[in-house]
Amino acid sequence: MDFARRTLLGQMARLTAGAALMPFSSLANAGINAQPSRREGDGSKRYAMLIDLRQCIGCQACTVSCHIENEAPLGSFRTIVSQYEVENEDTGDIATMMLPRLCNHCEVPPCVPVCPVQATYQREDGIVVVDNEACVGCAYCVQACPYDARFINEYTQTADKCTFCAHRLDVGLLPACVESCVGGARIIGDIRDPDSQISRMMAEHHDDLMVLKPEQGTSPHVFYLGMDERFVTRPLADPAIWDVRNSEGKEIGYEFAGH
Amino acid sequence: MSLLATEILTPRYELAWYPWAVQYFFMIAISYSALMLSLPGLVFRSERFMPLARLALLVAVTCTLVGPVALLADLHQPARFWHFYANPAPWSWMSIGAFLLPPYVVLTILYGYFAWRPALKARGAEGQDWDAKLARLLCLGNWQTPRLAVIVFGVLAALFACGIMVYTGAEIAILASRPLWNTHWLPVMFVLTGLIAASGLVMLLNRLMAGANSDVYRQGLRVILVAILAAAVVAATWFIQGITGYSPSVQAALESVRHNPDWTAIAVWALSAGVLLFLATVAMLRAPGWQRWAWLLGLLAIHMGWAFRWLVLMEVQTVAKNTAGYYHLAVEAGSYGLLGIIGTFGLWLAVLLIIDILVPWRDVNNARSATY
Ligand code: SF4
Ligand code: SF4
Repeated sequence: MDFARRTLLGQMARLTAGAALMPFSSLANAGINAQPSRREGDGSKRYAMLIDLRQCIGCQACTVSCHIENEAPLGSFRTIVSQYEVENEDTGDIATMMLPRLCNHCEVPPCVPVCPVQATYQREDGIVVVDNEACVGCAYCVQACPYDARFINEYTQTADKCTFCAHRLDVGLLPACVESCVGGARIIGDIRDPDSQISRMMAEHHDDLMVLKPEQGTSPHVFYLGMDERFVTRPLADPAIWDVRNSEGKEIGYEFAGH
Repeated sequence: MSLLATEILTPRYELAWYPWAVQYFFMIAISYSALMLSLPGLVFRSERFMPLARLALLVAVTCTLVGPVALLADLHQPARFWHFYANPAPWSWMSIGAFLLPPYVVLTILYGYFAWRPALKARGAEGQDWDAKLARLLCLGNWQTPRLAVIVFGVLAALFACGIMVYTGAEIAILASRPLWNTHWLPVMFVLTGLIAASGLVMLLNRLMAGANSDVYRQGLRVILVAILAAAVVAATWFIQGITGYSPSVQAALESVRHNPDWTAIAVWALSAGVLLFLATVAMLRAPGWQRWAWLLGLLAIHMGWAFRWLVLMEVQTVAKNTAGYYHLAVEAGSYGLLGIIGTFGLWLAVLLIIDILVPWRDVNNARSATY
């Protein structure tokens, strides 16, 4: 009680200091559920990522380095490599499909207009971020993201997601996942700069690039090269094996019990 | 479904909205529906609907008081609720809702207050008992209750109630990320099941607190009959839109749960509960002798309204967005789970009993024709 009281007073203090107040000019005339105007960041850039699945070995180095860099709580991930075991219908051969997932920094991000307090916003450079000082933890954005890229961070009790490591990009470093990628599968860069590596690769492989769930109209800015198109929308896969139930319908092998 | 691909690694996604959300949507739907049920008697002054109106008003006020508490509890940062007002985002339905809710609550309370005040005044004039003293206190002075106040606040509250209907429905229905939510029919279903639950609660309280008035039963049953028929038409239309592919979103929604035994069970349950409610309602309307059991039907109606919201808000969250799988729904004991559900109902019961002690709500109609 006392703690909650102090938090509340702290909040009030901040309100009087005006720190969390949005400029009223930011109340652009966006229609209901339309994209509000972007703010902050360098408008001359548009960050995007290209993931060359041919180079991904599914080692989860990105998952781990992101987890350490961004201090996500145990069991919550800003990026993860989904792994599928795929059986060839004719030969019965088994192959493994790796699919690194992260926030797509969509051009039309459905997570942004839903936010009731402007805590989630898109920067001018396309990166979608959360101001976790403003976030009320309503989780509306978590529901709105079609890619399950967001979660409520159990430490901060606010929305959390991949930021393309904006804090690193802004000082000229690469995101943790890119830095640690063993196969060099993750390429990040400015697609407004025609000479950037990502722009050149996108030009070269233009017709082979795919994005996830294009039918959602979100225009994702994480592009996949070497993608099996059956995995673009919700793949017809059996669920994760730790959710498999036995014949009595009981869950077996649940890994994260207690988290 | 092809069983050829197995997902072997994915994080376990937690539910982002807790059962508190169900409680809020349930309470607020009963609140706006009950408010509507109170209008014919209290605002349009139809004597016939007076017994219904006084119960409906009691239900509306109590649920309006409790609903926002559950809403606040569903925020992970409840102490930051003021951010809603400091950082408005008029393009977000939730933000719009944050601006509609407080006036709605205040107007509903004022509506109730002015409807109850004449009876309070009458009780206050009755001597020196503690309840008479309390009633005098609640009257806030000896002025006459303005005749128009009930009508004005009733109409205003009803206008805001429409706003609440629209925003609570639209808030969920715009989420394209979940095809099961992404349909224009969802707001309509929220309103219809809200009406069913509110009538059910009114009929139950009619038995428990108001001497089982037969007009109330009959009128409540009629509302349920109309609402359930409309809900059946809506559900059928939604389903047909899906199987014919007329609406890709509904098609995706049906596809997402087609092979899941849990969802088949849910569909069977919903259909049987609906049919049972319909048949029993028709039977009671045709054979008035059975209407003394209408309060039992009220329980079923309340269950339908609540379970529909549980299904929509909780079960749908278990459908995975990235694979064909499902997440496990675990309602934990503790403040985020079971305790939250029981706590909300407990709070409502407490509010109901307090109002019952403080306010002679049964005398609304008597006092109305007497002194203002
Ligand atoms: S992937 Fe999800 S969280 Fe990221 S911008 Fe798109 S909708 Fe928002
Ligand atoms: S959880 Fe936070 S960032 Fe997400 S919509 Fe709610 S307030 Fe905005």
